[in-house]
Amino acid sequence: VFLTMAVSWVERVASFLRSPSRFLASTTAEVFLVELLREQRDERLTMLSPLCEHPTLLCPSACTGEETCLELMSVFSHCPPKYTEFRCQLLLTLTTVLVSTGCVSAHSHASRDFLELLLKLAQDTYYDPADVPSALRSTRAAACECLRELEACCPSLLSQHLELLNGLRQQENPRHHQALSGLYAVVLRNGVHLLARQAGAGPEGLKALLGGNAAVAWEAEPDSPALTDRAAPLPSVLGPSGLGPTLQTGPDCKELRSVLSSLLEESYLLTPLSQAALLHALTEVVAMVSGVSPAIFKAQLLRLLGTSKVCLFHCTLLMKAAFTDSLFSAEDEAFLLKRLVALCQHPQMSTAAQLFYTDCLVHFPENRPIGAADGGEALPVLLTPRLAASLVPTVFDEPATMLARLNVSALVHLEEHGAREGGAAGGGLAYLWEHLLLRLHVVEHGGDRAAVVTFFRASFLFLCHFGHVERHAADLRRRLCALYLRHCRLAPHVLNLADRAQDGPVRPGWAVALLRSLQGVAVSAGGDLAAVSQKDLHWHLRVLARVAEEGQIGQGSTVDFLFAVATAASPPSRNEDWRLGSDLLAVCRHLLAHPGLDALLCPLADVLQHVARHHGDTDVRDHARLYYSLLTALSREKLAGVLANGGGGANGGRQDNKRVLSAMVVESQDLTSALTIHKARTPVFHLVAKDRAGGWAEPTPAPEDDEPSAGRFAALADVCVPRLFREGASAAPPAVTLTLRPRAPYPGTLRCSAVFTAQDELTWHAALPDVHVAFRQLFKPLPVPASWGPALRLRAFERLWDDLFCGRLGEAELEALLEEHFAPFRVADPGDATGHRVLLFIPPGSHVLLRIRPQEDAVQFHMATDNWRLLPHVNDFLLSVTDWEARNGVDS
Amino acid sequence: MSIRALWIITHEKGEHVSVRFSRRFPTVEYRAKSLAGSSYQAVPEDSAVLQLLLTELGLADPGKPYVAQRDDCLNQQRTPALELHVDSSAKGILWPVLVISRGPLILACLPLVEAGEPRPPLSSLLSVSQGLTLLEGLQSFLGGSEIKTDGDGLAPRLALMPSVLQQVCPLGTPLDVPQARAPSTAGVPAAAGSPRQPAWRTGQHRGRPAVNVALTETVRCMQYGDPSKQDLWDVYGTVTCKCDVEGVLPNVTVTLTLPPNGSPLQDILAHPCVTSLDSSILNASSVDDGDGSAFSGPYKFPFCPPLEPFKLCSYTSQVPVPPILGSYQLKQQQEVNHLRVSVNLKLHESVKNTFEYCEARLPFFNRVQMSIVDVKVSSGHLDVNKEKNLLVWVLGQKFPKSREVTMEGGIRFSGQLPGPVDPLCTDLTAYIKLYFKVPDLTLSGCSVDQHSVQVYSCAKPKIVTCRELQSKEYFIWNSTGPAPVSSGQMIL
Repeated sequence: VFLTMAVSWVERVASFLRSPSRFLASTTAEVFLVELLREQRDERLTMLSPLCEHPTLLCPSACTGEETCLELMSVFSHCPPKYTEFRCQLLLTLTTVLVSTGCVSAHSHASRDFLELLLKLAQDTYYDPADVPSALRSTRAAACECLRELEACCPSLLSQHLELLNGLRQQENPRHHQALSGLYAVVLRNGVHLLARQAGAGPEGLKALLGGNAAVAWEAEPDSPALTDRAAPLPSVLGPSGLGPTLQTGPDCKELRSVLSSLLEESYLLTPLSQAALLHALTEVVAMVSGVSPAIFKAQLLRLLGTSKVCLFHCTLLMKAAFTDSLFSAEDEAFLLKRLVALCQHPQMSTAAQLFYTDCLVHFPENRPIGAADGGEALPVLLTPRLAASLVPTVFDEPATMLARLNVSALVHLEEHGAREGGAAGGGLAYLWEHLLLRLHVVEHGGDRAAVVTFFRASFLFLCHFGHVERHAADLRRRLCALYLRHCRLAPHVLNLADRAQDGPVRPGWAVALLRSLQGVAVSAGGDLAAVSQKDLHWHLRVLARVAEEGQIGQGSTVDFLFAVATAASPPSRNEDWRLGSDLLAVCRHLLAHPGLDALLCPLADVLQHVARHHGDTDVRDHARLYYSLLTALSREKLAGVLANGGGGANGGRQDNKRVLSAMVVESQDLTSALTIHKARTPVFHLVAKDRAGGWAEPTPAPEDDEPSAGRFAALADVCVPRLFREGASAAPPAVTLTLRPRAPYPGTLRCSAVFTAQDELTWHAALPDVHVAFRQLFKPLPVPASWGPALRLRAFERLWDDLFCGRLGEAELEALLEEHFAPFRVADPGDATGHRVLLFIPPGSHVLLRIRPQEDAVQFHMATDNWRLLPHVNDFLLSVTDWEARNGVDS
Repeated sequence: MSIRALWIITHEKGEHVSVRFSRRFPTVEYRAKSLAGSSYQAVPEDSAVLQLLLTELGLADPGKPYVAQRDDCLNQQRTPALELHVDSSAKGILWPVLVISRGPLILACLPLVEAGEPRPPLSSLLSVSQGLTLLEGLQSFLGGSEIKTDGDGLAPRLALMPSVLQQVCPLGTPLDVPQARAPSTAGVPAAAGSPRQPAWRTGQHRGRPAVNVALTETVRCMQYGDPSKQDLWDVYGTVTCKCDVEGVLPNVTVTLTLPPNGSPLQDILAHPCVTSLDSSILNASSVDDGDGSAFSGPYKFPFCPPLEPFKLCSYTSQVPVPPILGSYQLKQQQEVNHLRVSVNLKLHESVKNTFEYCEARLPFFNRVQMSIVDVKVSSGHLDVNKEKNLLVWVLGQKFPKSREVTMEGGIRFSGQLPGPVDPLCTDLTAYIKLYFKVPDLTLSGCSVDQHSVQVYSCAKPKIVTCRELQSKEYFIWNSTGPAPVSSGQMIL
């Protein structure tokens, strides 16, 4: 029973690891975690792997993480020491869970206890004869590794224990020196890094760091920033953009120097991987501490330069990048470069290592770099054609190696001969060209898919470097066409190359020229269509569809070819072929959007009409009919817009869009969308009054009378503005003049909306912000004939004045009026018999003065006031009193 | 200097693909997340990674002739690091995914990038060379290139992976590479108080002391028989040692010597157990014209040997002549399927005429089977393979006294079945490939004298040295047809 249970657990764990998401869909992380922890009691290694690999899935919160860790620690404490492997795995799992769930902090019991446990284990000098010290067979080494990882994740966690660690490292029993050296180096590096970042830190800080010897674990300094703030992992100091922070110390860094020397002396005893990591950490330390000379590494250099191990040689290159001429003289640099070139093609190096070295070569850390330090590729100045000759691509190279070498060789050639066409004089270009032809030869003679892909990648790379050498560029074009003619199935590769050449750094025009030549190849098949296989015809149409995207390429021959295909009698099965029909229509579709459409109109319409009538497939017929209608019914602009916009049903040229069984459905949806007026949610532009004269600036609306002031203006006709937004932001917006015909002399509001076609070629309807017509904007001069002179105008004014502002009252009626309405306010002036004065005081402080003067058969009211707002009221009042007079039979 | 995840994948020419083992390192992932900031991309589940990897490696959808994502010519893979596009956004990228692919085995890992944006150059990341070293170590642990996916070798080795990784890469930081074989039973841990023991020497040897030094030289060659094309050949050597000597930190010195007029050994690479190297040893390089110093030995390699066999050093050498000079002429006869063959091979006088084996193979591609082989050889004997598309000329252990052998005759191709296809070898482009091994010989003249091996230990060990020359990619191209040129020497 136990065995079956064990087997089922192995399977369950394996199934979890294969796909945690699928596994957890059938159970919950909580349940699984509980089960796992229960099983841990049996000391089975497998059970730890889910926690080891996916701790955050099983412990989604810090709280669960903490609890899990406490549980695992209790397992550890009960596990007898003889289960070394399980105990080691427990320690690793604990570290993983603590770090990943973010529990490492002084406030966490689990992490405090765990750290204490690890430090205790690291100091444990108990000697177990069965304890093989290889790598991690012992709990002590495992504890050191856990400490190292904790320090890497939470920098300066252990910086208080540097002296302790140094002591352990130098202990007499040396069996774990690799683990201890690695741990010490990381703690030192992090400590120095954080110190260097602190403003004002100096030699004393460094001294304190090296001498740090806190009592075990955290209690000593619970407020350490590393624990409270959970310091983030530190980035590498040796970035490509120069060095990181530096710690200003005097020349006297004796303690540090002695520690570094002893670490370096024993570095030889470490495995190459650990050695490289140690050397890199120490490189970072020395790069940050100004007081230690990089010459401290000198003694190790020859050993490192002669090494066969990638990581150790790489580590030397990184030292070179960090210290340049303070560690490597010009002579050393030349030597290192020579060595690197040799390694790039050393028969004892694996392909991956050779590729890596080749990449290092184009990012070689020069003492005096001339090229841009932006991390881009640049050849070292010292790399002569002689040196690089060993790096030329050969036909026996693997694809990646070949591309890397082609790239380097091309860079070398361009460096040597410049980007001139005449630079082709050197043998280098001729060799690379020959090589490309050899690859082409392989493709032509049945090379497999990998060979085809490699050839096209090599061609692209060649064009990127030598696209300007017309001789080769044109020859490659010719050869690609010949290749296409022989192997039409390579069309997608050729078109892909054309696309990339067009988008990329290849000289403009090359791709168009290639496409033009391809068009020639494809349409030449029209001469004897019966001899062309169905597949080849398909590729020809694909090619022509892509060619039709190019406005610069004339499409007359394409349309002729399409006509030939559409009307070809044999074989009759073709006429039924949906695929062929839709390929043909895909070309038509691009032609509809072609700038040279005007010249193609009739022949294209013939093709479409023919397909619409005679093709055997309904979908194709419908489709053709639709295109025909579009071609004949829409304006050029709208058509281009509709097609550019209306998605990808037949747009098979540039992207492999998903093909729906009926392209018609997809396209109809797209076209519907293109031909419908869409409602814009936000106003796209607005009208601005330009000046008093009544013109408006800014884009075009179709103004309508608005609801609230309905009827105030006569309805306006639509206004059409051909191009609303002109090129260039500085261009003045178009001005339109609106002639308003007011129906009432009041200010009002115009409600506007616009129908327009946007850049996405869809037609939109948008409501525009209201335009307010102010009272003053209604003013017009008196509409009199232009021939009227000033005298006539004056007379008109006088007449109007009399008409508008004189009450028609007789003397008696006036007296009655005054008596009735103004008696209390009259101001008598016996000396003036011609007029009456009335003074109205309106509280709190306004005055209205009236001078009333009878004249022949009328009465003039002169009015003065210190509050103009009273005028309408006075006016109303006067009107009402005179009306009253009228009602009483007074002639007014 | 750490890796975030590791995958071991097997496939058979793109089919039957599966992730056989994977391992994630969540603490490294925690660091990756913190260091990358907003550009962080989590590692997806294995099945997703597998699909992305196959696409990048060009192995996805093997049945489809063109897949835009897989075959785009913009996708210039020129480094061992791939970019996996987890989603279509510019940020959803896993980089740098290191991949080593050989035969049916694909090993991949994702090193930690200890920098944020912008992306640093690959060459500035130590974790990349660490990852490559680990992957290469795992590859040789899993059986190197001779691996079969379902074979006996792989499954048991894969089963060992969890505990192997617990030792060599417990928390994502590679500490060592796994040893191909279990530690020698003779390995006994050092007692306390003894001098520091190298981490790569996991115990002490107990038993009869012995030192074995084997020097193998390999010669590669391209002969065209065409005055307009320069023949090419190169030689490289490897010294392999197995040292069973006592002591915690034993000291052994192996010295390579050259004959008085020998050309210097170049591009010397030494095992990391070599304690010190003289700068004069490293000076000679195959990539330049060589300086005047012309140091030609002796080449001393002092080292503390690991317990298992190891490659002490390797070198390249430029020798004045190839060991066997050949000419190969194929002539098309009037009948389409009739070829006239004429071969001449000449053993150079400086080369010892005692072979372990020597044979010349003449493959015929892009043709139907051979029907009549009417060919005479002056020495050795001829075999035709079962498929009737390959002539094997077995020269045996010795060339005749004249040191020259010839083959003459005609071959008719009128069999029923088509033979193998090689897009390179069309029409009269054809080659002879030579396979030979000569014991106790090096072309460079390099040798390890038994008496020059010094061992500083109490007991005097038995010292055995040997050397041999073998061929690899030794081609003689038909001089009547076009042949692929493959050397930068042509440029100069």
